[in-house]
Amino acid sequence: MSGKTPDAAGIGRAKTAGLKNVDILVGIPSFNNARTIGHVVRAVEAGLTKYFPGRRAVLVNSDGGSSDGTTDVVRDASLDLDSILLDHRKGGFRKLVIPYHGIPGKGSAFRTVFEIARELEVKACAVVDADLRSITPEWVELLIKPVLEEGYDYVAPYYMRHKYDGTITNTIVYPLTRALYGKRIRQPIGGDFGFSGELASFYLGKDVWASDVARFGIDIWMTTTAVANGFKICQAFLGAKIHDAKDPAADLSAMLHQVVGSVFDLMEDYADIWRTVRDSEPVATFGFVYSVGLEPIPVNLEKMIEKFQMGVRELAPFYRSFLPDDILAFLNDLAARPDRGAFSYPDAAWVRTIIHFVLACHRKLVSREHILKSLTPLYLGKVASFVIETWESTAEEVERRLEDLCRSFENEKDYLIERWNGSA
Amino acid sequence: MKAFIDKILIQPLREVFQKLSAFAPSLLTGIVVLAAGVVLAWLVKLLVVRIIRILKLDAAFARSGVTEALQKMAVKDTPAKLVGRMFYWLVVFIFFILALSVMRMPVIDELLEKFLLYLPNIFVALVVLAIGWFLGNFLGRAALIASVNAGMKAAGPLSKGIKGAVLLFAFVMAFEQLGIGRSTVIAAFAIVFGGAVLALALAFGLGGKDLARSFLEKRFKKSGESDRGDGLKHL
Repeated sequence: MSGKTPDAAGIGRAKTAGLKNVDILVGIPSFNNARTIGHVVRAVEAGLTKYFPGRRAVLVNSDGGSSDGTTDVVRDASLDLDSILLDHRKGGFRKLVIPYHGIPGKGSAFRTVFEIARELEVKACAVVDADLRSITPEWVELLIKPVLEEGYDYVAPYYMRHKYDGTITNTIVYPLTRALYGKRIRQPIGGDFGFSGELASFYLGKDVWASDVARFGIDIWMTTTAVANGFKICQAFLGAKIHDAKDPAADLSAMLHQVVGSVFDLMEDYADIWRTVRDSEPVATFGFVYSVGLEPIPVNLEKMIEKFQMGVRELAPFYRSFLPDDILAFLNDLAARPDRGAFSYPDAAWVRTIIHFVLACHRKLVSREHILKSLTPLYLGKVASFVIETWESTAEEVERRLEDLCRSFENEKDYLIERWNGSA
Repeated sequence: MKAFIDKILIQPLREVFQKLSAFAPSLLTGIVVLAAGVVLAWLVKLLVVRIIRILKLDAAFARSGVTEALQKMAVKDTPAKLVGRMFYWLVVFIFFILALSVMRMPVIDELLEKFLLYLPNIFVALVVLAIGWFLGNFLGRAALIASVNAGMKAAGPLSKGIKGAVLLFAFVMAFEQLGIGRSTVIAAFAIVFGGAVLALALAFGLGGKDLARSFLEKRFKKSGESDRGDGLKHL
């Protein structure tokens, strides 16, 4: 086992010299994750040792120039195999710490991982976030085995998350991608994925690395690209997902812009595919599903509703350029309601809102960035409404509630297709 | 007596008549050119309006706020009609100048020459104003969305201020290009702009020192959650 820090001259053969016939690659993108990455590295090493002892494996830390000693933590992280009752590996194991280049962001870090995977001709890869607190060695097994032993190309994660964790996923990305591509992948932007070496090479062949894909858009891009291009997909139940906030300083509207913008861009790329899909179907799920207790998440409802009201008040003239009158009337009415208890953004109105944002971007009515960033107050309104509605609900009840939202998106697909075709 | 009448009345009248008969063909040509111009202008107007409708530019004008701005200025025409009318008068004007030039009058020729030399300035000024208008709208809207997302109470005034500043800047540049009150306009602009910046600096300095302190503390001090009690993880 050895750490290695190559120079910053890109990913070349020198960095992977001496590595041949590698079966498994696990990538960890990082940027100032010194607090948590040590645990992630140890969990990965334990997982590789426990479940793939005879396979040659590489751990790649693709770092964005951390200044908090993240890379040192990765190099120094060591595992006491005896304490976890594991024998030493028979296959080789190497750690590579590599700075990535290009636009700063998770997508650029993943690109480096894909390049090394292609260079080493690995059979199966996994990527896991560096901010994870709940990762266990079993995650490695669950993300890699479906690829190595079951012939799947892409393994999406399936976690237990707090009902208010992943609100962009729950209110927009999951229901929309499910309605579009017909696959019920519960965490399409989960952040931790398994994929085949073939799929890694396929990703590298795409010219997207100067777009939002290089940032927060990478997760939805990987999932959608795999689904839309007919790769064999499954999901793996990984248990609880407990992690640090992605980037506490990150602006919500920028995050929303990158993720939702990537979903919308992919709709342009794969319009011929999603327009033919009707309904949705479950995907194969591996892992033993169980429920876990999760830390409560404090929510500032007042602030979210205030931002929604302010957004509707100030941006109404702008919304008028692409939202229909009935939605505008509803938004004005909702923003004017003094009773917080009566604050409700119904699914039907939310789905129509999203569809008209999609269409506005598709028709290039006004600046795409302005359209996407103006979604933020409405998104906060929907989240506030969802929180009010599900305050007393259990995780199972919330899942059922989200199922209703997904159905609403699926039911409105014809409405979207009709208008999309009309403006194509 | 006859010689006297011939000298002060008949002779000048004859000269006028001679000049008029010498000028008449030019005048007639001028009138024909102008009439042809009016007909052509009418055709150009129809064509321009048709093209604007085919390209659905009316909708684009509505989205960019041009239609709303025109309505505020009590202009009842749609932008398509307005542009069509502008082209109409432009063609009429060009033919009017052509008509004047075929009349070969030295004074008019001189005026025309000066005017033609000045025309590029008008064109550049119009382009500057148009760019200023679109840029002002774009930046104003960008500021509005960003400040709404940041939860700033003064989002509306801030956006209007930015849009106004860009438009003011465009007007100053346009006037400078036209050479109208060059030094006065620049001085007025500097006074207004400098005054606004000074007022803002004083307002922030005196009225917002606590806000500034709190902002800087939040920005540079190590702290936990930035927003009171909100721990949502959106991704």
